[in-house]
Amino acid sequence: MLARRHLRPGFWLVFWREIDWLRRRPFLLAFITIVPIGLMALLTLIFSAGLATRLPIAVLDLDSSDLSRSIIRMVDATPDTAVAVRVGELAEGRGMILSGKVHGLLMLPRNLERDVFAGRRPEVVFFYNTQTLTIGNLTLRGVSAAVPTAAAGIRLSLRTAQGQPIEEAQAALSPIPVQTHALFNPTLNYVFFLLAAILPSVLQIVMVTASAYSVGIDVETRHRLRILRRLGGGLWPAIAGKVLPYTIVFLMVLGLSDAVLFGILELPLRGRGWLLDIAGLLFILSCQFLGVLLALLLKPTASAVSIGTLLTSPAFGFMGIGFPRLGMNAFAYGFGAILPGTWYLSARIDQTIRGTPLDLSWKPILVLLAFAVGLAGLVALRLESMRAHAARDASGVLPALQEAVP
Amino acid sequence: MKQVLAVFRDELRRIFALRPVFSVLIVGSAFYAVFYPQPYLNEALRNVPIAVVDADGTSASRELARRIDATSDIAVAMVLPDVVSAEREVFARKIFGILAIPKNFERDLLHGRASPIALYADASYFLQYQRVAGAVAAVAQTLGAEIETARLIGIGVDPALASAASDPMQLTAVPLFNPEGGYATYVLPGAFVIILHQILLIGVGLLGTLPGADPAENATDDPAPGAFATVAGKMLAYLLIEAVILPLYLIALPYLYGLPRLGGVIPILAFAVPFVLSISGLGLVVAATFKNPLSVQLVLAAIGLPFFYLAGFAWPTEVIPPAVHVVSLLVPSTSAINGFTRLAQLGAPLADVRGEFLLLWGLTLFYGGIAWILEVRRRRVASVPSWAASD
Repeated sequence: MLARRHLRPGFWLVFWREIDWLRRRPFLLAFITIVPIGLMALLTLIFSAGLATRLPIAVLDLDSSDLSRSIIRMVDATPDTAVAVRVGELAEGRGMILSGKVHGLLMLPRNLERDVFAGRRPEVVFFYNTQTLTIGNLTLRGVSAAVPTAAAGIRLSLRTAQGQPIEEAQAALSPIPVQTHALFNPTLNYVFFLLAAILPSVLQIVMVTASAYSVGIDVETRHRLRILRRLGGGLWPAIAGKVLPYTIVFLMVLGLSDAVLFGILELPLRGRGWLLDIAGLLFILSCQFLGVLLALLLKPTASAVSIGTLLTSPAFGFMGIGFPRLGMNAFAYGFGAILPGTWYLSARIDQTIRGTPLDLSWKPILVLLAFAVGLAGLVALRLESMRAHAARDASGVLPALQEAVP
Repeated sequence: MKQVLAVFRDELRRIFALRPVFSVLIVGSAFYAVFYPQPYLNEALRNVPIAVVDADGTSASRELARRIDATSDIAVAMVLPDVVSAEREVFARKIFGILAIPKNFERDLLHGRASPIALYADASYFLQYQRVAGAVAAVAQTLGAEIETARLIGIGVDPALASAASDPMQLTAVPLFNPEGGYATYVLPGAFVIILHQILLIGVGLLGTLPGADPAENATDDPAPGAFATVAGKMLAYLLIEAVILPLYLIALPYLYGLPRLGGVIPILAFAVPFVLSISGLGLVVAATFKNPLSVQLVLAAIGLPFFYLAGFAWPTEVIPPAVHVVSLLVPSTSAINGFTRLAQLGAPLADVRGEFLLLWGLTLFYGGIAWILEVRRRRVASVPSWAASD
């Protein structure tokens, strides 16, 4: 309706036409708003705990001594692990791991206490499931924090029994203590590490495929594309008017997810907010132009959407959050480099938890700028060549008619 | 039965005749099999670069740095004069940790005092952090135990007793199922299941929304197949296609990528039957809901990532809010990723995944039933049989 009022060709005419169009296509509108917001809300709920604590493990105590009981207490007291079950034999513990009820099994051997004080160095064995790598490593962290603590007490008493003064014995327990400082994410919070990176990745899929879809519908019938250009009064106003409504919507969706991350989940903003905003805008534009380019190069629209899905839905693995890019093979490293998300996540991590100094912050942002400009340029080139083709194909008479009757 | 077979044959024909369906089910499967595993093929992360800031500059501090460099996990990439300049290299992502050895490191050790070192490790990337922190702690502990033993022997303790006193109770950690801690071994078994899930779901969704989805349109001589025969015939057709694709994904591909597999083939295939059928049912329901092939493609494209994290594979189920977990069981992937991984990677018997197995059968009945009801309703709405209209 608003479109009717602005009859002069130009950016605004295309812009309002697109908004009108979105209102009449509830599916597309839902796909760029409700779908990403819903998926992001789901992911936020999944990771809302932030830390994985008290992971269940089983204990096989063959000693039942004061020492074995105190080890079990200490293992249960670490934040990482919780002693969920006592098993009577090894096979039972194995069964618990296979059925997924526990993530590990701590075995305290017979005569543990006696052997320890006789200096026979008995072995405490911890079996843990590394098929689920992260979870397995977390349980190991808990156990390997607790057992040496128990051992330290013994070492202290062994030394004082040798006649060493207690202070000296204490200092000698750990000759080279390591004071480890976890930079940027001291609590190793998964919300800041994983969730903050997954949310833009979901949005990347939606942005590329939705852009391919919305432009694909215009491209499928050739005269529609020409009408679009006529309405815009030129190539660039038409492109801008077509793309900008979605940019605004995506900015709002990204803003909403960031509002939750910063406001509720307390993701720190140690860098510069304005740099993060610039990076976000360039990321959105890059994804949009990537989708538009796919729609202009591939027909029908379904193929453009398919290829967009193919490129973006497995992209998270290539962006180097879980497994870092420096450990990847050349192909994966290269593919990661041509994804806008890779650079946006770099910029995002820089400006949120890392608080990277300004002069070291520019690289990912400049790459995103190059993406946005380069992809927009390719879109324009492709549109020009499509027009040249069309002009050659239609020998003069038909186009005027086609344009008159949409 | 004859009707079921007719629908079955017709649906198989459509899988190969419809280009979008063929691209997703066949070309897509082949593409993902090669493309998806690429980032993880190096399995382990080695030689993570760190910097050493050695304020001591003695033989002891150099020995410590040399031993850290010798581990396979990390490498000393730079030796820098101070922590501030090293910090800049961390910000530039050139290094992922700074090991600061303070002045008098050697002197304190020789005097029998605790001689602490400081490690600043980049925790904005967890895997790098884990490698750096783990390797430095292990080296410091070994070196410390050596020093402690030497000291005890120095004050006249029996050597055997001295090593016992420095480490009276060894902790032996035995990693199971993925002994190397390989990243591909960790991610790919679950990822292959979610890829199969998504490809089949999109494929069935497309088949149900593209022209010719109603078998009545294609039946030539016989009376049009009933609603039940339609649903059953289609699901059988998807089962047959997956009988080819699924073993390739869950048995051949892991073998080709060198992933360990402890479980037998038979339990995996038995578990696969309700897996495929439940997705087929869900796909038919999705198709009936969205009615448009492009909508199906768009909506299903973005949901793979959340589904993967719902399965309790990368993030433990114990800390996912219980309500979210219960709802997530409605999606076949949640039980399937769990079940397949335990069967194949852990070598669990089918009895140990009973819960997941039965749940997938339940979902088959549930979605198959809904698909059947929707099919019956659709026929009632289109009261004039479409075959009569189109003839």
